[in-house]
Amino acid sequence: MLILITGGSKNGKSNIAEKIITSYNSKKFYIATMIPFGEEAFEAIERHRKIRLNKHFETIEKYTDIHEVNIDNNSSALLECIGNLCANEMFENKIENPTDKILSGIFKINSRAEVFVIVTNQVGEDGIEYPKDTMNYIKNIGEINRKISEKADCVIEAVYGIPIVLKGELPPCLL
Amino acid sequence: MKLITGGAYQGKLDFAIKKYNINTTEIVNGETFDVADLSNIRCINNYHLFVKKLLENGENPISETSKIISENPDIIIIIDEIGNGIIPLEKNERIWREQVGKVGCLLAEKADTVERIICGIAIKIKG
Repeated sequence: MLILITGGSKNGKSNIAEKIITSYNSKKFYIATMIPFGEEAFEAIERHRKIRLNKHFETIEKYTDIHEVNIDNNSSALLECIGNLCANEMFENKIENPTDKILSGIFKINSRAEVFVIVTNQVGEDGIEYPKDTMNYIKNIGEINRKISEKADCVIEAVYGIPIVLKGELPPCLL
Repeated sequence: MKLITGGAYQGKLDFAIKKYNINTTEIVNGETFDVADLSNIRCINNYHLFVKKLLENGENPISETSKIISENPDIIIIIDEIGNGIIPLEKNERIWREQVGKVGCLLAEKADTVERIICGIAIKIKG
């Protein structure tokens, strides 16, 4: 079961993702992609850790190269988030177009998971013409989102905490 | 409380006026209104700009919002969706954008109905 969750900043995406994962009994992996650098990153990481507290996640910190992630067969996994992962590949690893690399990592993890929930971001809706690198970042995230959506069983958009189904059916735990 | 959301210029205010039969004198603008003057007011427009004003005044948007909705349980609130872009470089812009997300989640949780307007078309997403 592959589930993609998108939506705007602080719109409750993680909350929805964790609700889905905790409705499964299998071993839970959390794949964290945010590089802990700077005060705001620490705040974000701390906030997400609090949400996951007592939910028995095994955390794998992987800022790039998620094809190297190994999870147990038939476990559940939560990857957060495509925005960070893509930025890390592009601006830390200096890969201009990491789309295929990221997607192959994702589909590899998915092939082992009972349920794989991926949190992504909507970044291309502010109408601002950014410098070339940023426009390329927006394009890559758009492409990654579309390719995951094609294979996903369910795609959800979080709008101020409300899950809206874009593809498939809402998991029963969200009804 | 009823919540209406959507991107800029999608017809949220027109929709609210028609659907809920609101007189323009019953609407205040989030950018300029005073919390003390909410009697006889049925609709707060541009709530995302109210959040910006609160932050500029050093106030807490979450607690102010809780207060407004508990004191005005029938209010209609219109808030833009602003979080679907690139993270702003300017710190205050980032804080505003994130606070609007959190305030929007609180409003949606407390609302009886949430309607999202796209191209003038309303989609009920709660209630």
